[in-house]
Amino acid sequence: MKKIIIYTVILFMLMYPLLVGFSNYYLTIFFMMSVYVITALGLNLLLGFGGQVSVGQAGFLMVGAYSVAILSSKVGLPFIVTLPLAGIITGIVGLIIGLSAARLKGHFLAVVTLGFGISVPQIILNWQGLTGGYSGMSVAKPTFIFGIHFYYVVVLITLFIIFIIYNLVNSSLGRAFIAIRDSEVAAQSMGINVPLYKLLMFVISSFFTGVAGGLYAYWFSFVSPNDFTLATSFLILAMVVVGGLASIPGAIIGAMVLSLIPHYTDQFVGLTNLIIGVLMVFIILVRPNGLASIKKMSFKNLTFGKKVGNKGVIKDAEIG
Amino acid sequence: MIAQIVVSGIIFGCIYGLAALGMVLIYKTSDIVNFAQGEMAMIITFIAFMFISKYELPYIASFALALLFAALLGAIVYILFLKPIQSSTPISLIVLTLGLYMIFHGLAGLIWGHSPTSFPRALEGSPFQIGSVFITPNEIFVVIFTICLMLLLFALFRFTKIGLAMRAAAQDMMASELMGIKVTKIFVLTWALGSLLGGVAGMLIAPTTFLHPSMMAEVLIMAFAAAVLGGFVSMPGAVIGGAIIGVFGNLVSYFVGSELRIVFVFLLIIVVLIIRPTGLFGGTQYIKKV
Amino acid sequence: MLKLDEVTIRFGGITAINQFSLEVPEGQIYSIIGPNGAGKTTLFNCISRFYTPASGKITFDGHNLLEHKSHQLAKMRIARSFQNTELFGKMTVLDNLLTGLHPSIKKNIFTIALRTGSVRNIENEARKRAFEVLEMLGISNLASELVESLSFGYQKMVDIGRAIMMDPKLIMLDEPVAGMNNIETEAVTNLIVRLKEEMNFSVLLIEHDMSLVMKISDYVTVVNFGQKISEGVPKDVQNDPVVIEAYLGEGDLDVKAE
Ligand SMILES: Nc1ncnc2c1ncn2[C@@H]1O[C@H](COP(=O)(O)OP(=O)(O)O)[C@@H](O)[C@H]1O
Ligand SMILES: [Mg+2]
Repeated sequence: MKKIIIYTVILFMLMYPLLVGFSNYYLTIFFMMSVYVITALGLNLLLGFGGQVSVGQAGFLMVGAYSVAILSSKVGLPFIVTLPLAGIITGIVGLIIGLSAARLKGHFLAVVTLGFGISVPQIILNWQGLTGGYSGMSVAKPTFIFGIHFYYVVVLITLFIIFIIYNLVNSSLGRAFIAIRDSEVAAQSMGINVPLYKLLMFVISSFFTGVAGGLYAYWFSFVSPNDFTLATSFLILAMVVVGGLASIPGAIIGAMVLSLIPHYTDQFVGLTNLIIGVLMVFIILVRPNGLASIKKMSFKNLTFGKKVGNKGVIKDAEIG
Repeated sequence: MIAQIVVSGIIFGCIYGLAALGMVLIYKTSDIVNFAQGEMAMIITFIAFMFISKYELPYIASFALALLFAALLGAIVYILFLKPIQSSTPISLIVLTLGLYMIFHGLAGLIWGHSPTSFPRALEGSPFQIGSVFITPNEIFVVIFTICLMLLLFALFRFTKIGLAMRAAAQDMMASELMGIKVTKIFVLTWALGSLLGGVAGMLIAPTTFLHPSMMAEVLIMAFAAAVLGGFVSMPGAVIGGAIIGVFGNLVSYFVGSELRIVFVFLLIIVVLIIRPTGLFGGTQYIKKV
Repeated sequence: MLKLDEVTIRFGGITAINQFSLEVPEGQIYSIIGPNGAGKTTLFNCISRFYTPASGKITFDGHNLLEHKSHQLAKMRIARSFQNTELFGKMTVLDNLLTGLHPSIKKNIFTIALRTGSVRNIENEARKRAFEVLEMLGISNLASELVESLSFGYQKMVDIGRAIMMDPKLIMLDEPVAGMNNIETEAVTNLIVRLKEEMNFSVLLIEHDMSLVMKISDYVTVVNFGQKISEGVPKDVQNDPVVIEAYLGEGDLDVKAE
């Protein structure tokens, strides 16, 4: 069952350009879905599995996008080098943010990541020598061997990242992340170096988000400081929450559905934000485990995720 | 010149401090960081503006009515959204108030649009000079009003029964419930007060930022920074933190550039949290009991 | 093997443990008993390095534990269970046990990302070992249940199982049978003896159930108000008037030694 679904989906993705006649409009819709699927999976690793809040994922997208822009147009590196490098650079930024995460909990971490997400565009705007400030930067379209369409490269990369994240969360590493989320005290007793693993979560999450940002820069051949804002961070958060914390299919579905919202609502100023907000609030109040917790949808096998929910007050009151 | 920067920094700082005070109050009692605080303040300011421009009420009446609305808004938000998930994970609580942030922001955009409108000051009048510093009557009003509000809150917390109950609820929700303190009532009150303080901050900052849905974005970060400096639990700490952030922000604007103010304030938050996670005025850290 | 030397632990102004010394020899069941709030769990937390003593020394096999962080203890093969269970609630029982292997599983992030053959082999080995422990606890039927959906008694079993997975030299159990019914208590009692006799673990046990303590302990130390008030073999301790005094009003010393 699981195999059949996966193969059907892959087949559909391969046929999709033919179905839409390589229309740039429809390919771009799919492309943005891919960017958000990768990003949402990255955040899910942090938030869903690791229990670490980040309200600044858009900042990582920006770092990835500008890394590609700078490395490809200023340094002239090819796609195959630039894209992983963009991931690594973003990973290093994630490491720095993670350093404070290792010492902070919940609300305070949210404040720090929020500040990070807001700061990145400001830094880009003001670092004109490197980033071109307001006017943004153009990026050369990549070309691939045998003239393969960029679309197929994106599909390949996205599937590969899903595969990697699935493996990570279903390993000793993933268990360590969940352990930290559920009880830091017990995690320590099991020999898990909690600060180190928190750092690792941030590095992995930001690495993939950086790759997604890099793909974005290549696809549109252009980046500007307002491409990913605070609202984007909220959107990504909503994708993970709506899809279901700590569920991989949940994050994928959440990302695909929610990436369509700005597309249809952006002509009405404010409507996008309103819908994102309502979705977040609604899910938290009514279905804290997201869409993935709807039994009929999850085909049993597909829900390889572990779910998160409520923890009693008593536990929190015990602190101190 | 520096004196002028410091003085106007302190005046901005008072407003940040008020917003921070509202956040700290809510966090202290109900253990929730309200990320929607700024957007609620923005809505309240729009309501005040409606009274002023549409119904042509005097400033003071509009101010008072807006505060009444603020208290109601705070109470309703708590009862409708936070109370049902009070015992949920911190992550759920964070996501919820972030969602509310988006709802208020989106609603304001849909209702009032995104073009900035000017908002009146509490007191008009031209600036006068004290030493080398220029100061307006409105600015003096802001400082005095902040100090009064602080003293009032302090008195409420220290000397009234409600204040005592609030402190008890902050200490231990379960135990307070057992001792017959109506925790829900206390929380509703706290949210009303917190929202009110945010509203005051909104109406005082609006003449400078102009009235529009994103007017509180920066104030929110500044207020967070102020609260963090104060350890997020100390009320005087929040106000002093506000003043520090106000001056710091003004110095950054002058010496580095106003666009980078947020960036530097954010760096300051990180440095403080890493060096002293309990803030400059915060108490000792608790060790978890297992 | 484990040695505490004049350990004092303070919380603010309160002295929870005062000048406490003990030595746990290898291959024995060493019990700590005492009324509620005496400081037993605090001692465990201190050995686990969650708390740092104000003064005193703690050594394990000659290593100074105070120079180690809590997550490093697993590598030294010290394991523990918790009085109120600190389980990973949203994980399955099996996954909870697998975390016990964390220190011994190789963690190369690149081979994990690609799920190479060696990673799969290690996972399979780990599962096999986890099922052995589940078998021992008699709960292999619960392997794929979420821990938070289990009763408290079963949760305590999982907590102990997770510690056993670490194949420790020293296993510290904090009130392992609290909240269990008679049958479960019986099972855990036998299990503790097996840990000593078959697996050669040394056991440091905190327990309120006197009959259990008196039945299986090789040595007993009695704590009250953070101080040692008596120690010795079960029979001696039980007849010590100081101990009887301390337990007056607690009302659970109505048990005779075997
Ligand atoms: N983290 C802590 N902070 C403050 N006091 C604590 C802490 N941990 C334990 N105590 C105090 O130490 C004393 C001993 O507690 P504990 O070790 O849990 O007793 P027990 O012997 O029942 O296990 C109690 O008075 C308790 O309140
Ligand atoms: Mg205890």
